[in-house]
Amino acid sequence: MATIATISVSSDIAPGFGGISESMTLTQAGTVTDIDSTSGFQIRKLSGTGAVDLVTMANELVEPKDSVAAKIFIRNIGYKGVTDKSVGVTIGVNAEPIGLLYGGDWMMMPLTCIDADDITATPATDDTVVLEYVMFYEEA
Amino acid sequence: MATTTAAVTLTSDLLSDNMSVTASTTCMKAGTTADGLDQMEYGYLDLVTGDEYDLIGATPTVSKASKLYLKNHSTDETYFIAITQGTQAIGKLYGGDWMFIPADFHDAAGEIAITANGGTNKICYALFHEGITLNASA
Repeated sequence: MATIATISVSSDIAPGFGGISESMTLTQAGTVTDIDSTSGFQIRKLSGTGAVDLVTMANELVEPKDSVAAKIFIRNIGYKGVTDKSVGVTIGVNAEPIGLLYGGDWMMMPLTCIDADDITATPATDDTVVLEYVMFYEEA
Repeated sequence: MATTTAAVTLTSDLLSDNMSVTASTTCMKAGTTADGLDQMEYGYLDLVTGDEYDLIGATPTVSKASKLYLKNHSTDETYFIAITQGTQAIGKLYGGDWMFIPADFHDAAGEIAITANGGTNKICYALFHEGITLNASA
């Protein structure tokens, strides 16, 4: 079965835009061999505005290979079934802010997995929020 | 209200039991619950090897709720594009890979740049946003 991610985007912003529907099989860099390692599916509850490491690369039990084809999926699932579209959590890489995941938002992003390039999460408010995430990578 | 919906299905057999995740979100303007993103850029281009290029020509309003989709349509799995934001390397998209991220564009140095490797890569991208600053005509 492998690891497969499929995206569908629909929008009525631009007349004639037919939407996006694409699928990818996560493979090892430069090959058609399936990617072989994962962090497993995890959740992290945040209740403060301080930045935390969602993923600390140097602490992964299976060492990820650097600068290849790793990906991470992250989703803001709110808290206890309530998602707030008006506030979010800034996701960053090595302190570089990538963007805000508002309630219900998700992202899929490639990673370097270099030790310095930890994935950080910084909530905009003290309200409790839960992120779910899973990282796929190649074993070093 | 303009409506943009992004959905994903993620399946994997790397765990002891098959994992299947589905998620869908309506892309809203920053800090609102009633007003959706209402502008977009959509493009398809050949990216030659060598130089690093800014993917987005005009910087969207900073600290907003823009969403960026990017796919490498190259059919050669050894081809890839390296993605950076500012000076920070984000990762690589090999032929067939896509990404979908919230794009904060926190300041003038926050633009996302791409570099082709292996050969000329074919890129498709879509930026959903709530306003950009256009460059004045010379």
